[in-house]
Amino acid sequence: MKKIHLIGIFVIAIAIAVLMSISGDVSTYATFDQAIQSGDRVKVVCQLSKDKEMVYNPVEDPNRFTFFAKDDNGLEKQVILLRSKPQDIEMSESIVITGKMQEEAFVANDILLKCPSKYKDEEIQLKREQKGS
Amino acid sequence: MEYIGEHLLPGQIGHFFLLLSFVASLLAAIAYFFATQRRNTPEEGSWKKIGRASFTIHGLGVFIVVGTIFYIMVNQYFEYHYVWEHVSEDLPMKYILSAFWEGQQGSLLLWMFWHVVLGFVLMFTAKSWESPVLSTLALVQLIITSMILGVYVGFGAEELKIGSNPFVLLRNEVQAPIFASGDYLRQIKGNGLNPLLQNYWNTIHPPTLFLGFASTIVPYCFAVAGLWTGRHKEWLKPVMPWASFSAAILGVGILMGSAWAYEALSFGGYWAWDPVENTSLVPWLILIAGIHTNLIAKNTGYSIKSTYIFYLLSFVMVVYSTLLTRSGILGDTSVHAFTEMGLENQLVLFILVFTFIAAFLYLKNRKDIPAPQKEEASSSKEFWMFIGALVLTFSAILITVSTSLPVYNKIAELFNPAHEAITIKDQEPHHNKYQLWIAVLISLLSGFAQFLRFKEFNWKKHISKFSKHAAISILIAGGLTFLTTLWIKVIAWQYLLLLFAGIFTVVANTDYIFTFLKGNLKMASSAFGHIGFGLMVVGIIASGLNKKHISTNPFAQRGLLSQDMLNTNVLLLKGVPMFMSGYHVTYVSDTLEGNLRKFKVNFKKEDNGETFDVYPSATYDNQVTKVAAYNPSTKRYLDKDIFTLFILPRTEADIQEKRNYEDTLSYELYQAYENDTIFTKNHYAIIHGINFKPTHEDYKKEDGDIALGVKMSIHKIDADTSWQVEPVTVVRKNLLINYPAIVPELSMRIKIPELIFDRFFGQPSLDYSDFVLKDGEHFSYNGMKISFNGFNTNPSHPAYTPEEGDIAVSAILKVTSPGKDKSFEAEPIYLIRKSQPFNMKDQIGELGLHFRFTEIDPANKTVKIGVATADQQESKIPVEIAENALRSDYIVLEAIVFPGINFFWLGTILMMVAFFLSMWNRRKGFKNG
Repeated sequence: MKKIHLIGIFVIAIAIAVLMSISGDVSTYATFDQAIQSGDRVKVVCQLSKDKEMVYNPVEDPNRFTFFAKDDNGLEKQVILLRSKPQDIEMSESIVITGKMQEEAFVANDILLKCPSKYKDEEIQLKREQKGS
Repeated sequence: MEYIGEHLLPGQIGHFFLLLSFVASLLAAIAYFFATQRRNTPEEGSWKKIGRASFTIHGLGVFIVVGTIFYIMVNQYFEYHYVWEHVSEDLPMKYILSAFWEGQQGSLLLWMFWHVVLGFVLMFTAKSWESPVLSTLALVQLIITSMILGVYVGFGAEELKIGSNPFVLLRNEVQAPIFASGDYLRQIKGNGLNPLLQNYWNTIHPPTLFLGFASTIVPYCFAVAGLWTGRHKEWLKPVMPWASFSAAILGVGILMGSAWAYEALSFGGYWAWDPVENTSLVPWLILIAGIHTNLIAKNTGYSIKSTYIFYLLSFVMVVYSTLLTRSGILGDTSVHAFTEMGLENQLVLFILVFTFIAAFLYLKNRKDIPAPQKEEASSSKEFWMFIGALVLTFSAILITVSTSLPVYNKIAELFNPAHEAITIKDQEPHHNKYQLWIAVLISLLSGFAQFLRFKEFNWKKHISKFSKHAAISILIAGGLTFLTTLWIKVIAWQYLLLLFAGIFTVVANTDYIFTFLKGNLKMASSAFGHIGFGLMVVGIIASGLNKKHISTNPFAQRGLLSQDMLNTNVLLLKGVPMFMSGYHVTYVSDTLEGNLRKFKVNFKKEDNGETFDVYPSATYDNQVTKVAAYNPSTKRYLDKDIFTLFILPRTEADIQEKRNYEDTLSYELYQAYENDTIFTKNHYAIIHGINFKPTHEDYKKEDGDIALGVKMSIHKIDADTSWQVEPVTVVRKNLLINYPAIVPELSMRIKIPELIFDRFFGQPSLDYSDFVLKDGEHFSYNGMKISFNGFNTNPSHPAYTPEEGDIAVSAILKVTSPGKDKSFEAEPIYLIRKSQPFNMKDQIGELGLHFRFTEIDPANKTVKIGVATADQQESKIPVEIAENALRSDYIVLEAIVFPGINFFWLGTILMMVAFFLSMWNRRKGFKNG
């Protein structure tokens, strides 16, 4: 057997081992229900409940921002983000939060916003609007 | 419908040249194809001529299209959709380049532009390779041009739109009632460039990165040419400088992206394993693997097959990266925002075509590719370099697999609609975990392999030299690693190993330069590159592993936080020092220039009193109503960076929020005479008087303003503390603008109500009695004696600011009152400004008297003076005070220390320099073809 074949087998073996271990880093996007049941750290895709209150009071704690969000099944939960309030969250289409359920609220320390592009809304701005502002 | 003021000609010219360059690229591909097929026949020359001519036409066409777009952008022809989308009237010219490639069409054109430039260079330098290389390049151009063609094929409902033309008109793209009006152009304004991208990095990063992407086509074309013409050995030499060039430029492009992210964006780091970063890194890794096997192949004849595969794959991965980043498929996993343009199908076709060409040619010719019979010896340089290339490939595969999960989800959904999308939970640790081992292997290999020789040359004699140098390097690296651990903390043995490996390759390659190359720096490009890699590894461990948030104040932490949760921000009140991690930090001041609000934050080190300032800033949108982006600021030391970023309170970041908030405050009205005291709910205030030349930090004086401020001091009841404040109100044209005074410590906001202007204007309730009198005469009014003591032709009056052309005069009035032992003076003004008569009244607060000077009769030398008595109430100064105001004079600061980050920059720059050096050294291959 040639060395190159040995190396090949070796590389394939490592590749399989690594790919198997990657599966440990992978998860499906969870819903709030699943987050409650598993109690694990998960990613949840949700939408901001724009009618509910968002609280960010940095004088008290600059690392705490709370809001309400609905997951894809329509279940609404309070989310406590242990960070400062992300910019433009009001404009987000969907939100991906990473964290886990703690009692009644979802405590997240990572957030990704999906915002509609500024250029997608094809509203024509008129010159006089500019004057008014 | 007639539209007024449209400039349709440039669009027609542009689109014509777009179509022309599309057709010309097709012709060039075909002509060069036949020039290759009929090589060494008499026909070759004429095909080549056609090929050259059509590629030249294609290239000029692309240049004209690019030029035309710039023309319509510079002239702000908003009738074009692309111009309207990316340009606005207030966009500074220096950002016109950024605006050009902000959109998909512009960036595709940028890509094509570089292809054309490279194509022209190849036309003159590639010699015998010209035809096959340019045939492939022209085919690439054909496909990219089709993406911006904007041509409809087929009819009716089946109509298929191919590409989107950058010259489409706004009124054809967007439905809006405004287009019912023929002169709509006079009414619309451009959308403008996203403020986040109004940054010099966005001027230099995209063209560099795109030149990097574009240049990967050259090794691909040479590989195709080699397979196509069967000259499997000959192409290895001319491709080399091109591959080095590509590695250098693509590398610089990626680095600029990470420098931009670190320096100007709020990402807080230089690399985050974001999918967009990953997909640009993968082609680069494969290219580097290719360069290594290319070297092997050129020197020993081994690894020609793998060189083919790597160079072919590198460009295919560039197209794959384009697909991922432009199709919107990464939306859920990347922080970069991308819009869809309906290009998915064309991009998939793009990949398929070029994968097919590569696979077909490779499989067809595989058997003919020469390889030495004997396999590589395990003590030869080529063997270990090949292993290194494999490790790089492995790294590229791992990154690609993880980054492609969204693609997997999309495909799985096609077969199984119930498929649950999967994703990597935490991107950064995931990638770091695997790439750590890649970096260890690469570092060790690039150290040891330097001491080996190609073809195991004279191994028996060489082995002792090899062992000696390897051993010395290990020892020195071990010692240096130990010293490094005294400086930075290395928490796990894996990292310690990596640190050692990184230092080892630096030491080994330095040794190599001195002992093997005898200091011949011309030959040292590979050693420099590997030293750079080693330094980069050290930099990553130091800055990535030891990066530390210093913006924490443990006393302020809540019990709620669990360990894995971050506590990264502190709140800084303006002017109040805050202690955090060994520093006293103070938010000193802020200034607004244009739409940039710059903050000054002072750091004072507790132990040695060293002090420095950082200047993070907030960029507002073009109307200065809302913060569009926060820009970090970094204090650089040789051995570390202190990186700072902040956010503003809601009410400061958004004018609308500020207004809403103002509305929720409950103001109480207080009125008092000059020097009187008023008692508010919790405190008391002394009103010192009205100031007609007021100053306020937010107030910028404009011509025609009528401004006044109330000077007052606020006092705490139970303490000796007081604050001097001055709320200001301004009448500008017909608007009343309030600049409240704030005493943050007392949660107090003070503003001046409109009522205050009653003192100067209006006050219809006053009932004036008119008296006509001459100089020196007097009259009685309510028992008081009022005498007219002549004119003052140079009058001064608190509310009067002289303007050119004014005719102003005041009447000097003297009042004596029976009950008072002093006399009073008043000087009402009579003013003619722009042929309009005005009068400005004056008053004597203590007597409650108001005077106005309404007429002059030059013939009789008389004046008419009006006198009125007002309630005492009316000469009181009104102020409104709210005592429930939340503070808004603060910033929320994040500060991170990155130790040793300069090793990262130094190392990466050294690597890039090495690629340029290597390109320069091998330019002979470039010249001789």
